[in-house]
Amino acid sequence: MSAHEPRDEVQITVGYRGLGGQPDRLEPRTVKTADGDAPPWDANTELTAVGSDHSRVDGLAKATGRAKYTSDVTFPGLLQASILRSPVARGKLTGLELDAAAKLPGIAAVIPLKQVGHRVRFVGDAIAAVAGTDLHRVRDALEAIRAEYESEPHTVDYLQAAEAPLLGEHGEITDAWPESAAMAQAIAAAAITHEATYRTEVQTHSSLETHGATARWTGNDLEVFCSTQATFGVRGELAQALQARGLDVGSVTVHAEFVGGGFGSKFGAGVEGLACCLLAHAAKAPVKLMLDRFEEHTAAGNRPAALMQLRAGIDGDGRLCAFDVRSFGGCGFNVEKGDGGGGVAVPDYYTGKAKTRRQHLDIATDTDPARAMRAPGHPQGWFGAELFLDELAAKAGVDPLEFRLRNDGQAMRQDQWRFGAERFGWQQARARPNEPGARYRRGVGLASARWSQLGSPGRQQRHGIQCRIHQDGTVEVRSGAQDIGTGLKTVMTLIAADELGIEPALVKATTGHTSDPSGPGSGGSTTTPSLAPAVRHAAFLARQQLAGLVATRLGVEPGEIVHDGGKVGTAKQSMPWRDACKLIGPNPIDVRGERFPNYKQKPFSSTVCGCQFAEVEVDTWTGLVRVTRMFGVQDCGLVIARKLAESQVLGAMLQGISYALHEQRILDRQSGRMLNGDFLRYKILGAEDVPELDCHLMTVHNGHSSTPAAGLGEPPAVAAPAAVANAVFHALGVPVRHLPITPDKVLAALAGRKG
Amino acid sequence: MTVPTDPPRGVSRRSFLKGSAIAGIATTGLTAAAAAPREAQSFGPGEHEISLSVNGTARKLTVETRTTLLDALRNRLDLTGAKQICDRGSCGGCTVLLDGQPVNSCLLLALDAVGHAVTTVESLGTGDTPHPLVQSFVACDALQCGYCTPGMVMSSLACLQQRGQPTREQMRRDLSGNLCRCGTYGRIFAAIERTAQGGGK
Ligand code: FES
Ligand code: FES
Repeated sequence: MSAHEPRDEVQITVGYRGLGGQPDRLEPRTVKTADGDAPPWDANTELTAVGSDHSRVDGLAKATGRAKYTSDVTFPGLLQASILRSPVARGKLTGLELDAAAKLPGIAAVIPLKQVGHRVRFVGDAIAAVAGTDLHRVRDALEAIRAEYESEPHTVDYLQAAEAPLLGEHGEITDAWPESAAMAQAIAAAAITHEATYRTEVQTHSSLETHGATARWTGNDLEVFCSTQATFGVRGELAQALQARGLDVGSVTVHAEFVGGGFGSKFGAGVEGLACCLLAHAAKAPVKLMLDRFEEHTAAGNRPAALMQLRAGIDGDGRLCAFDVRSFGGCGFNVEKGDGGGGVAVPDYYTGKAKTRRQHLDIATDTDPARAMRAPGHPQGWFGAELFLDELAAKAGVDPLEFRLRNDGQAMRQDQWRFGAERFGWQQARARPNEPGARYRRGVGLASARWSQLGSPGRQQRHGIQCRIHQDGTVEVRSGAQDIGTGLKTVMTLIAADELGIEPALVKATTGHTSDPSGPGSGGSTTTPSLAPAVRHAAFLARQQLAGLVATRLGVEPGEIVHDGGKVGTAKQSMPWRDACKLIGPNPIDVRGERFPNYKQKPFSSTVCGCQFAEVEVDTWTGLVRVTRMFGVQDCGLVIARKLAESQVLGAMLQGISYALHEQRILDRQSGRMLNGDFLRYKILGAEDVPELDCHLMTVHNGHSSTPAAGLGEPPAVAAPAAVANAVFHALGVPVRHLPITPDKVLAALAGRKG
Repeated sequence: MTVPTDPPRGVSRRSFLKGSAIAGIATTGLTAAAAAPREAQSFGPGEHEISLSVNGTARKLTVETRTTLLDALRNRLDLTGAKQICDRGSCGGCTVLLDGQPVNSCLLLALDAVGHAVTTVESLGTGDTPHPLVQSFVACDALQCGYCTPGMVMSSLACLQQRGQPTREQMRRDLSGNLCRCGTYGRIFAAIERTAQGGGK
């Protein structure tokens, strides 16, 4: 670690080392660092803990069942709670009788969540809540509540809505394209054109820990344990909502030390969090309210459905010259001004100089609103676009990889395509013919990915990290943000260890308590890139303080002090870390690092790039698709915790297979109720479905901050469904344009009908 | 939920569940040991004082007839390692061992666990050195959010104990009742292999 102080202008090296024998893509950059920030780590910095195979620091707590999640928190006298939900998809609450329930034994509080006259918006809308000594009694009480509804006609299928386009017998949009002379001209000028319609279904987040909270009041101070991916967001939301209900709220503290998954659904406390706090207030006792699995499927968000139509043309060189997309989102009741969270994103790096047009409309239904889900809008849009491009390439007689190489405008992905194809054995696998008439048919497919977040500095409210060095040599790094399984604690530990030049075992990272410095919600893959530089800065400030103490002891200038290999001092004289820390005294060094804005200079790459390859085997008798092999190449920014980063990439690939082949919410049109709101009939990928799986992580120095990490929630979650769909197209020779690719659709496609 | 006035011992909660939509679906669940009818004894609704053998210790507690083993472990004995994820036998998050056999504790009445040895994930983390299997889970990063992990660990433990050197196919089968949303399956197979080969000792 260099001892130099940050100067205004720093020369760094950005880029990445060549993939599998390809040339390095490294280049010099001059960046201006903020006054007082830690100097940038670049491609030439040698790091020890960062990038290593260090294990997840809270792994043992999780694997031994010691980790306490929100669902596990308990207090003496803790009450359990649950919510009464509407059986009506649309209408009005016309009567609500709570008294009988309140009188039942063991019931401590019953509260309305809607007033008579309020609108009911979907099956599962929250009506009232009950707290009692145990869930059996609570459920008995829920049954004793008399709620009356006036129901109105409802629509739970967006394709039945008035704004929905008309579909032909093969599921294709038959409405004429909106007029555009320029687009018509570009299409007319193309050598080869293609047009098709694609569809995806509603997916639920299916976090294994359901939404919920445990709340405890002490006077007017509130403490909430919440299964959330945004501790600070929940704190603000609850304080505001409780005040709006006329409660005198002192301080609100939120805890989320362990969170059993979120995937975008857990940014808010939600009605369940609010109900929990209100019940605890009314009952004057701590209350726990966790949703059950049916509620989780039906009232805790989802990835909305998408319908998209594409048409495009390529010129004589096989380059796209026109690219026209219109899409529709099948959303919940909350669509306002056309925006219900159903937006569809499509790749923007293939189109080069092509004439392009994008149109989108969200359509409301009487269902639970959509929420962000791992790369919102991307898996659905990439599925449509990448399968469409494979169909277009097939028409032109061009190999899909060759087609990508010709059209992909992102230099880094050009390297990734070549490297990935080599590692996956694309050429051989693609060339291998299926025996005519064979029952099992194999196919391979590929797809690209990108994500465009490099971490927000949080302008309004600067995120920070607390770092303490104790006289026994241990170090604490603390963030109030949450680790939802992405590995934030481990990331913090490794960065602090390298900045201080010590073993990670001396560092203890704590996350998830709003009494610690603020951090972002875990969304958009921004947590790691936002906080990594703040950890650096905190450790950097702390080590400067320690250097001051050591310099005085050694009689040298503080600027000469270096921290490395567990030693503190100069080249000539140094002391072991533990001895140096003894100089601190009983009060620890205690500093708060901050997240400075990203450097103004252009980053090496402003998006996070990746691509994935899949091989499938289709049983042509049953229509079952099995993914047999998958490989991904993923730009990770600076890889911090290698094993964890790999886990996240591989996990995203599995989730993508699950989305491509299995997942769909099925609603009964008559009642508006979900028919498969459990894990028996809503299938998510299981152990039997896991293919041979591998990935290659690329460290890319973007040079946008002192510690240029990228988040890995979204980036690896974009390509997988498209890669699988393309492999199925290759195996069958006909595309299945509607996810999930279930046996019925495969058999229909094989029979020559469009599935 | 209606509780029959005279439920025969050894009847799982499944047969009490309204609507038989889930009946007949195989899980890693009940085994002969757990379901073997024993001496008949009547339990009406209301509370019963029972003693459960959990991780080698006799624990006294009061349960209702309708209390599941999972509920008893989590809410009466504060053993919150086993998770309630689906409460319907479809996710394996609540897996514990009953006389060495993996069971979904959400599908078993606490009363039916009386007289059997219950082993929970907490027993693997006591003492100075955690069980080799949990060490392998950490070493192989066989967990992300960690919510499915206690159930995965217990199913993996049963797989190892029963098969010694399980093949991948056997692991897939033995873990097919456990769901993981974060997608850690491959890492779990690696953790089982590592343990079988003597890693983590
Ligand atoms: S909670 Fe028991 S199997 Fe899901
Ligand atoms: S690790 Fe999150 S569900 Fe398995």
